[in-house]
Amino acid sequence: MMEIQLIINDINYKVDIDVNMRLIDLLRDKLGLTGTKEGCGEGECGACTIIMDGESVNSCLVMAFQANGSNIITIEGLENNGELDPIQRAYMEEGSVQCGFCIPGLIISTKALLDKHPNPTREEIREGMSGNLCRCTGYNKAIDAAQKAIEYLKEGQNDFKNSW
Amino acid sequence: MKKRGVGLGVSFYGTGYGNGFPDVSNAEVQLLEGGKVGIFVGATEVGQGAKTAMIQIGAEALNMDHKDIVLVSEDTSQMMDSGTAAATRQTYNTGNAVKIACENFNKRLFDLAKVELGLNSTAGLVAQDGDIYLGIFPQKRISYKDLSEKYKDDIIRVVGSFTAQTVKMDDETGQGAPYWPYTFNACMVLVEVDTNTGRVELLKAAFAQDVGRAVNPSLVKGQMDGGFAMSLGYTLFEDLALENGVMKNRKFSKYLLPTSMDMIDVENIIIEDPESTAPYGAKGIGEPVTIPIGPAILNAIYDASGVRIFNLPVTPEKLMKALRESEESEAI
Repeated sequence: MMEIQLIINDINYKVDIDVNMRLIDLLRDKLGLTGTKEGCGEGECGACTIIMDGESVNSCLVMAFQANGSNIITIEGLENNGELDPIQRAYMEEGSVQCGFCIPGLIISTKALLDKHPNPTREEIREGMSGNLCRCTGYNKAIDAAQKAIEYLKEGQNDFKNSW
Repeated sequence: MKKRGVGLGVSFYGTGYGNGFPDVSNAEVQLLEGGKVGIFVGATEVGQGAKTAMIQIGAEALNMDHKDIVLVSEDTSQMMDSGTAAATRQTYNTGNAVKIACENFNKRLFDLAKVELGLNSTAGLVAQDGDIYLGIFPQKRISYKDLSEKYKDDIIRVVGSFTAQTVKMDDETGQGAPYWPYTFNACMVLVEVDTNTGRVELLKAAFAQDVGRAVNPSLVKGQMDGGFAMSLGYTLFEDLALENGVMKNRKFSKYLLPTSMDMIDVENIIIEDPESTAPYGAKGIGEPVTIPIGPAILNAIYDASGVRIFNLPVTPEKLMKALRESEESEAI
């Protein structure tokens, strides 16, 4: 056992972990943040994508102790006082979700991309999402949503009212 | 050398269990406390949009806002069976059951309204937005809310059932009408074949799908994109390597699914030709949207390179081998 400190979705945590615990297990099993999904468990599918110190990472490939002192954003951290993030809102409006299992990872990858490159082309969005496998949607509506989110972010409509 | 080619694939597909197999869907509609209406139906939502479609069909048949409808599904203790979410059958088959149940529900409410309003007959009664009124004298009116209070000890719940019509094929002659209805589609693609590497790249695609009536065009287009991507993977990447019944490549690093970079923007065209036996003309498209893409890609590869591939997936190794064999046979 060891103790680590980290920030997740703007909240400080001090937790005891096993040294062989993966970050995804810390998030899901220990902290109950089950929005992050485990798909393949070997870094191929992207369902477990989170943002760690500004970079998108597969949380199944990061050990929990490696997150000591880090700042993490998961899908639960996107909503702000009951209001959806512009990316989440765009996903709903564009009908980008089918079964939904890959969607938290896709949305986090989209956020990681737009945080760094606020105005990507459609091809750059494809590249930014290419680490996230989706079996249902064919990705195109997720790309439409990313483009819509870019417009929302430009318009500064972060403070829209959540009508859902 | 990079060579371009165009290919077309077309298909027709019978939906439902077919071939005379009993294909039954049931739905139940109940007047809820406060005047909302509950639709209890076993249409399982797997992301295809069954819940959305059933609510839309219900709202149309009940002539009321979808927000006043409560859909309860996927709980066998609360509802009758509606068969599997398979065989492209929920929108057509279970959609029909929902529509019939809603129509039966309206008839039942009309009978009750006749009594409550002191009328001679149910003729001319109209159901609209949670009220029942007499069309020629709208002051004669009762709300679902009032009815739900009056009948709170005698729950109003009605069933609708739909059984698809199919005829088993004759074992000897193969004659019969195994499916009803059929859906139709066509897909055209432009590909580029790299004859030095065997790699096939999709450049452009158009895809037209007959849906009878698009209950929800956004969901239809989502299914079309999804079907295209699945078939693209099936045609070019996905190789299920079985050995003694065990999959040898059961990892996403070895079994390749298309990523967002393999997928392209598809020009999706919805064809609406309402089917007379369908709920508001709507037919299912879940499986059909995966069918014509592979043939279109294979035809485009042939158009580009002169090589016909007869088994999938068309991996670069397989295509290179076929290209070499074709060159050798030309040399002879």
